Amino acid sequence: MQDLLNLFVKSIFIDNMVFAYFLGMCSYIAVSKTVKTSVGLGIAVTFVLFITVPVDFLLNKYVLSPGALSWLSPSLKDLDLSFLSFIMFIAVIASIVQLVEMIVEKFTPALYNSLGIFLPLIAVNCAILGGSLFMQEHELETLGEATVFGLGSGIGWFLAIIVIAAIRERIRYSNVPAPLRGVGITFILTGLLGIAFMSFMGIKL
Amino acid sequence: MSNRYIFTYATVMIVLVAALLSTAATVLKPYQEANAKAAKMVEILKSFGVDASRDQANELFNRYIVDEMAIDAQGKVVTLYQKGKKVKGEGVRPFDLEMKKELKKYDAGQAALFPLYKAVKDNQTFYVIPLYGKGLWGPIWGYIALQSDLKTVSGVTFGHEGETPGLGAEIAKPPFQVQFKNKTIWDGQGNFTPIDVVKGGVENLPKADQAHSVDGISGGTLTSKGVDAMLDKVLHIYKNYIVAQRKK
Amino acid sequence: MSQEKTTREPLFSAKNMELLRKPLNLDNPITVQVLGICSALAVTVKLEPAIVMSISVMMVTAFSNLIISLLRNTIPSRIRIIVQLVVIATLVILVDQLLKAFAYDVSKQLSVFVGLIITNCIIMGRLEAFAMGNKPWPSFMDGIGNGLGYGIILVIIAFLRELFGSGTVTFPVIGELRIIPQSFYAMGYENNGMMILPPMALITVGLIIWIQRSRNRELIEEKK
Repeated sequence: MQDLLNLFVKSIFIDNMVFAYFLGMCSYIAVSKTVKTSVGLGIAVTFVLFITVPVDFLLNKYVLSPGALSWLSPSLKDLDLSFLSFIMFIAVIASIVQLVEMIVEKFTPALYNSLGIFLPLIAVNCAILGGSLFMQEHELETLGEATVFGLGSGIGWFLAIIVIAAIRERIRYSNVPAPLRGVGITFILTGLLGIAFMSFMGIKL
Repeated sequence: MSNRYIFTYATVMIVLVAALLSTAATVLKPYQEANAKAAKMVEILKSFGVDASRDQANELFNRYIVDEMAIDAQGKVVTLYQKGKKVKGEGVRPFDLEMKKELKKYDAGQAALFPLYKAVKDNQTFYVIPLYGKGLWGPIWGYIALQSDLKTVSGVTFGHEGETPGLGAEIAKPPFQVQFKNKTIWDGQGNFTPIDVVKGGVENLPKADQAHSVDGISGGTLTSKGVDAMLDKVLHIYKNYIVAQRKK
Repeated sequence: MSQEKTTREPLFSAKNMELLRKPLNLDNPITVQVLGICSALAVTVKLEPAIVMSISVMMVTAFSNLIISLLRNTIPSRIRIIVQLVVIATLVILVDQLLKAFAYDVSKQLSVFVGLIITNCIIMGRLEAFAMGNKPWPSFMDGIGNGLGYGIILVIIAFLRELFGSGTVTFPVIGELRIIPQSFYAMGYENNGMMILPPMALITVGLIIWIQRSRNRELIEEKK
């Protein structure tokens, strides 16, 4: 239980998708102009990560990793399908995003209206595929760990985009050097925020 | 465009892609495996001071490694290979054993086999023990070479998957690793003391402890702790074998 | 920043050359289009992985552009995105497998970031914006150009980070070269440890944008 909590805190603050791995930067820069839209995208990313990481975990564990298919028949224990993981992960992500979009549209039209435009974008958000690839790379062991990691990474991303959006709303009133306006200053701010987030590294877990 | 067209299109595409990828994977697999194997040999050789490139790894490995053993948790030699050929016992070649899997079995209380390499270089004997553990972000591993007295460390190598560059990742670099040379894993009283990675400077420790301690990495405390725990755990597994050999 | 190649074999028409040249500066995928930053910055601690990453991305962009452009009239529009993803993912898997077989050490360093080329927005972006509506050859050139534009920024960042962070520059094949001489260290020079940490990659991009936009004032964003 404590391990799960550690993993959760670590994936939000220390292993932050944006500040430590620069994942999901495209939409992070493009959408972070106002807090309102950022919240929408943040929720969508968190939600999709929360679902795709555990699903890809099961896929990896029971289909893709070396010898994973031995539950089907012992003769398959030498089969190694891990070369297919990229394509399988992205396929799972694309279909889950599609599925989530349809479900949300059907049951909560209000949420769909606010999230709607962001959902299709998410399939190609690096943070989502990154979540699954890190899950595989870090060799997480249980479904619980994968779920917690997915949720934590999503919340970390959510946090990052809200923080930067809030800053960008304020910075409009400041006198930023003209060539730095917009994208430039956002990069530098993200860097500075990253430095701030690095202070979490010392946390004893 | 009709649904039929879409389905046909998708099916043809999937079949093509699957064929292409599996061909590529099958063709390239021998190269990839050879790379991984050679990289492992390079690390083993490096632990007792033989610098090899991946191309020479196989040749030098066969030249220097005289015995490849697999021992069980009681320290009994179960399998013995020499020059890549089986001499005694059965099961897989000790070189192909994966520490990660064996440690997992060991933790689960199942029977596990641990690889051990005996090398002879310039008439000196070395025992190389593979290491595997957890760093801050992911797995760390390495090899520790003991001299023929099974007490003094001849050298170590460490590798890691994703430790922080400049901090934890320094364990894979010489300044950290040279410290291990000539440290001992037994203290003067005959107690087993796997090497400690300490914080705050080895020179501040009591004299007796200095012989089996090395400095951790500043800023890489958690990775250093991982190295410490890894050495402690793995060397204790090999303790039975080491004790038995030292009695001889 | 504006090192543009002005001469080239006549085989390449002026229009095609423009496709190659524009992404290097005025239409740079990273600093102007702000695409594909995701998988880029994490591999810039050393120069060697950055160069290998750039070449990999260039290959994937060029060939996925080419393939999609060849198929553009046959792709059913309803499964367009999936077809594109499959093409990209296939190419990326091939690149990954080749790296593992022939550039083992670099592939270890790049780890998951090779896989993340799939979601590199540059590639999807170019497929949608260019390859779906243009002939194969211009699409291929566009892919190479955008790959180069991406690579140039990556190489600049990696060069600066490695030089100031570790005092070395590592090239593929040649290996690690120590640039800052030992005598500097003896005099009290120290590597800037900040440079190898993630945040400095972002700040470096910010500074590159600053320099580029002060030289090309038309890129400056309007004040809202």
